[in-house]
Amino acid sequence: MLSPDAFLFVAVVIFAIGLIGLMLRRSLFVVYLSIELMLSSVNLILATFSRVHGEMGGGVVSLLMIAVIAAEAAIFLALIIYIYRITKSVDSQSITQLTHKRDEA
Amino acid sequence: MEALLSLIVILPFLSATILGISYLIDSKKNLSNTYYATIALTTPAIVTLLSFVLAFEISTMPHDTPLYAHLFDWIKVGQFHIEMRFMLDRLSMIMVGLVSFVGTLIHIYAVGYMQDDEGFGKFFAYFNFFLGSMLLLVVASNPIIMFIGWELVGLASYLLIGFYHKVSSNITAANKAFIVNRVGDFGFIIALSVLFIALEGKGFDFEAIKEGIEGLSSSTLSFVGALLFVGAMGKSAQIPLYVWLPDAMAGPTPVSALIHAATMVTAGVYMVARFGFLYNEIPHIGEFIAYIGAFSALMAALMASFERDIKKILAYSTMSQLGYMFIAVGLGAYGAGIFHLFTHAFFKALLFMGAGAVIIALHHEQDIFKMGNLRTFLPKTFITMLIATLAITSIPPFAGFFSKEAIINHAFLTQHYTLWIIAITTAFLTAYYMFRLIFVVFFAHSTKTYPHLIPLGKMIIYPLIVLAIGSATVGFLGIGHGFAHFVALPDRATPAPTHLLEYGLMAFNPLIAVGGIALAYRLFGTNPKPSKANIPIKALFIHKFYVDALYDRLFVSTLRSLSLFFDRVVDAKIIDGFLGLLTGGYRHLGVKLVSLQNGTVKTYATYIIFSVSLMSIALIYILEAQ
Amino acid sequence: MESIIFFVLAFFLLSGAIMIVFCKESIYSAIGFLMVMVAMAGMFALLHHSFLFLAQILVGVGAVVVLSIMIILSINLKDENQPQQNIMPSKIALTTLMVAPIVGLLLYAVIKADFTFAPIAPNFGTIEAMGKELFTHWVLPFEIVSILLLGAMVGAIVLSHRRLDVKS
Repeated sequence: MLSPDAFLFVAVVIFAIGLIGLMLRRSLFVVYLSIELMLSSVNLILATFSRVHGEMGGGVVSLLMIAVIAAEAAIFLALIIYIYRITKSVDSQSITQLTHKRDEA
Repeated sequence: MEALLSLIVILPFLSATILGISYLIDSKKNLSNTYYATIALTTPAIVTLLSFVLAFEISTMPHDTPLYAHLFDWIKVGQFHIEMRFMLDRLSMIMVGLVSFVGTLIHIYAVGYMQDDEGFGKFFAYFNFFLGSMLLLVVASNPIIMFIGWELVGLASYLLIGFYHKVSSNITAANKAFIVNRVGDFGFIIALSVLFIALEGKGFDFEAIKEGIEGLSSSTLSFVGALLFVGAMGKSAQIPLYVWLPDAMAGPTPVSALIHAATMVTAGVYMVARFGFLYNEIPHIGEFIAYIGAFSALMAALMASFERDIKKILAYSTMSQLGYMFIAVGLGAYGAGIFHLFTHAFFKALLFMGAGAVIIALHHEQDIFKMGNLRTFLPKTFITMLIATLAITSIPPFAGFFSKEAIINHAFLTQHYTLWIIAITTAFLTAYYMFRLIFVVFFAHSTKTYPHLIPLGKMIIYPLIVLAIGSATVGFLGIGHGFAHFVALPDRATPAPTHLLEYGLMAFNPLIAVGGIALAYRLFGTNPKPSKANIPIKALFIHKFYVDALYDRLFVSTLRSLSLFFDRVVDAKIIDGFLGLLTGGYRHLGVKLVSLQNGTVKTYATYIIFSVSLMSIALIYILEAQ
Repeated sequence: MESIIFFVLAFFLLSGAIMIVFCKESIYSAIGFLMVMVAMAGMFALLHHSFLFLAQILVGVGAVVVLSIMIILSINLKDENQPQQNIMPSKIALTTLMVAPIVGLLLYAVIKADFTFAPIAPNFGTIEAMGKELFTHWVLPFEIVSILLLGAMVGAIVLSHRRLDVKS
């Protein structure tokens, strides 16, 4: 019989890999996929806890999460296209509008 | 009567304000000198009239019931109750009358003297302010109000000495006067504070102090008396705080006349006389004052004997005469001191105004050795100045004879023979240097002519004549101690002289003076030469005992090097360095931190994760601890 | 039997995740993503969430992954437009070090709590049970999510619309 810990371990490891990917890679695709990875791992945790407690609530939230994942995918991919049209690249380093304005002293 | 007394003080300040505001508003110089002169002259004239009215009132009353005018309560905090209240007793009445009368004449003279000056209005605003400050000083009913007047006089003198403010040396002179006076004022303030604490809130009017000091210890009184005299030293230019006086000649001549005759320098003598009841308790401090006065008199006379600048000669002579006054008040002859102050105001104002007339006529030439034979060109000035000189050298029957003789004889009769010898020597020197001035300026070089002499206006000449009459006659007020009795100050008792001694002394003083005149004629009668510093003692006199150099070395250079040390080392290196470290640190930190905000989302994500990671460590730690 | 399936799924899940992060080509990352999604669906099935399994396959795989691959293909990145980035071991070590405490915390919590599966109703995870739960207790979140989806749809259209190009 499987214990919930196994599922949770897997979810945590996937979450960690998602975090690493977020920090490590510059490609916007990979960043996007890393975020999806983390969302999915949370999804897995929700489903696991739903099963642990024998209640459907977690599963329902998980279901809603899938919808959120879909929405996020749509927005993120649209953004990637948008950024690609402007900068002709999918490098996250190419977007630096958030930087401070250096005084031209 | 009360209203009149208040008006005496308020009017000059009011007109000073009006003049000042008019001058400031009138930037295009539309207002004529007549406008300013009218306001400026009306005020002292009215004040003089008022003072005469009040004098009449006062002289009919018994001497120990002064007239009071309560204006308002100024400070009322617990025991600390200071009223803005004026007091007019016979002493302050004499002072008010003197200040306003001589002041009026100087004002009139100043209208003539300053008529071409750009800052005519400003000058008279200051002038009235000066007069008002001095009047406030003399009618103050408690030392705090007196101190306000005292400080305002200092301020006014500062403004007036630096009146020609475009020349930097004049500013230096004004600063010097102000700073040296500040040294004295420091003593004054401490004295007042100590006195106030010692009195324990028994009231701080002169009347109350008079009653209050009876229970105080002699050492407290000595301390207070000595420090009060430090204040007087500063104001009245005595050793060692006299150095500002010669430099104060930087101001226009009417200013010098006002400072030396009516206002400012007499304040110290007045103050000591006002605190006479206190000094009577501590005769040893009185003797100290007398000795300081005597040495100041002698030293000033010596310096005057070798001075070339006509105004500085007169400045030293003022210091010298003030020395006499301090001998008198120090030995408890307050009446004699104030009487000398009174007569001195006339002839010193006259001397300064005469000197000013000469200076103006000769296109601002002040070196007496470039003058000569002026008696044929400026006869009225000559006559009036001669009268004043005879008065100051105490030739009977001119004013100075009576007043100075009273002081010198008092020193003799109270058996202070050292003081007497110094006073006599000074009298001899006074005669010498004053007639040296007269001979050099008016007699010598009898062939000398002045083609470009500026004619003197009536405004300049008439005050001279009035003062000359005064110088010649006011001395008679002192016959038989009449003046001293009238002022009714708490004079210490003098042993009565035998008649023979009295007449002997009376004759001795003029003889000494005549000796001085003869010496002056011998040296400077026909063909004067300025003294050369060929022997060390002469050099000492010509260089004013090197006191300025000494002060410069002692105070100014040490202070300057200290300031430089603070400027170059403490400020620049330590404080700026420290601040620089701070600001520089912040700047560098900022530059470093700014690179954190590089605009890359990924970096921001890293920050978030890093923070979460730190929080996780903390959480693990906490959970583990439970 | 379940354990074997679980380990197989876990293997696919982890290898897919690693592929996402460490493959240089975006398309391989996308394939890794596909693996993750499918394996995730399998995980749901293992947890008796049959409806979630369906939804994951339909939405996660059928829509999200396909959309992602489609976008990657349609953009058709040239090499010079790709971020030139070598994944350095030192960087991996650094990021792992930073993530380690988070993982540590989570694992610590999981181990400490000691969960066990509760006995479940026979209809657990079915469409019927899910629907009942959804439309009784979770109506409001459901509606909110629908509005979110609508917003996302509009947003995506606006963002990717050509006429809004920034002319620079």
